[in-house]
Amino acid sequence: MMQQKILIVDDAKFMRVRCARILVERGYSVVEAENGIQAIEKYQNEAPDAVLMDISMPEMDGLNALRAIRELDPAARVAMLTAMGQQNVVIEAIKAGARDFIVKPFEPDRILKSLSKLLM
Amino acid sequence: MSVNFLNPFLNAAKSVLAAEVGAQVNRGAVTLETNCLTPQDVTVLLSVVGDIHGVVLYSMDIGMALAMVSQMLGQEQEEFDDLAQSGIAELGNVITGVVTTYLAEAGYHCSISVPTLVIGRGTLLSTLDFKRVVVPLSTEMGRMFIHIALREDSSRGLARLTRHSM
Repeated sequence: MMQQKILIVDDAKFMRVRCARILVERGYSVVEAENGIQAIEKYQNEAPDAVLMDISMPEMDGLNALRAIRELDPAARVAMLTAMGQQNVVIEAIKAGARDFIVKPFEPDRILKSLSKLLM
Repeated sequence: MSVNFLNPFLNAAKSVLAAEVGAQVNRGAVTLETNCLTPQDVTVLLSVVGDIHGVVLYSMDIGMALAMVSQMLGQEQEEFDDLAQSGIAELGNVITGVVTTYLAEAGYHCSISVPTLVIGRGTLLSTLDFKRVVVPLSTEMGRMFIHIALREDSSRGLARLTRHSM
């Protein structure tokens, strides 16, 4: 079976490393981006199977990156990583095509379940 | 007065530290301070703006910081490098994010800044005329001190007065 590729987008290095470790251990391959602009570039260049995207980021936030990615690829599978207190953004992200939300703090299983759902 | 905002911080810190690093948290004696703060080795600073505004600081020694990052990463972290710094900042970010949801449930809507790290002892930090509620939290990994220097926005008090006088 071909390795599925996941794009992790978060400005916090720690979050990228932590998510990457969880995913690599389970056999996924991983691509990372630090902000929304990089996320769009990586999406175009790497064609990932799914995206895990933080909302609050410099340069371009997750919501705008989600909209841009969905414009490039209306079938893009994107789950948003949200901090508590960002519930207002959640509604906007659903409208923009986000398929799932992972609220921090999260257990590793939460990420894996979300990806299983996204990649069905 | 900051002391009104104590419970959201306690509850958030307990739940996040339990979820992220598996730590049981015991609260020590709460104090109200106005003097300059001499932080421990590592301090995460976040600003809060909105119906409540001010700053929150999470201060701890390097041993605790490294133990927590190691736990979150699932592997030993020996140096307080940029990865460890990012992890501790994220922890402060997540605790304060949870606090904002508790505050929103109580009718206070606010948002938080990106975290800033102060690294090293001996620096003096002042919250000027904002009194700080200081909460020591003991865990098996060490002690974390939360400094809460928050005020309710004055226009909210005015709005309440207006409502009561109607």
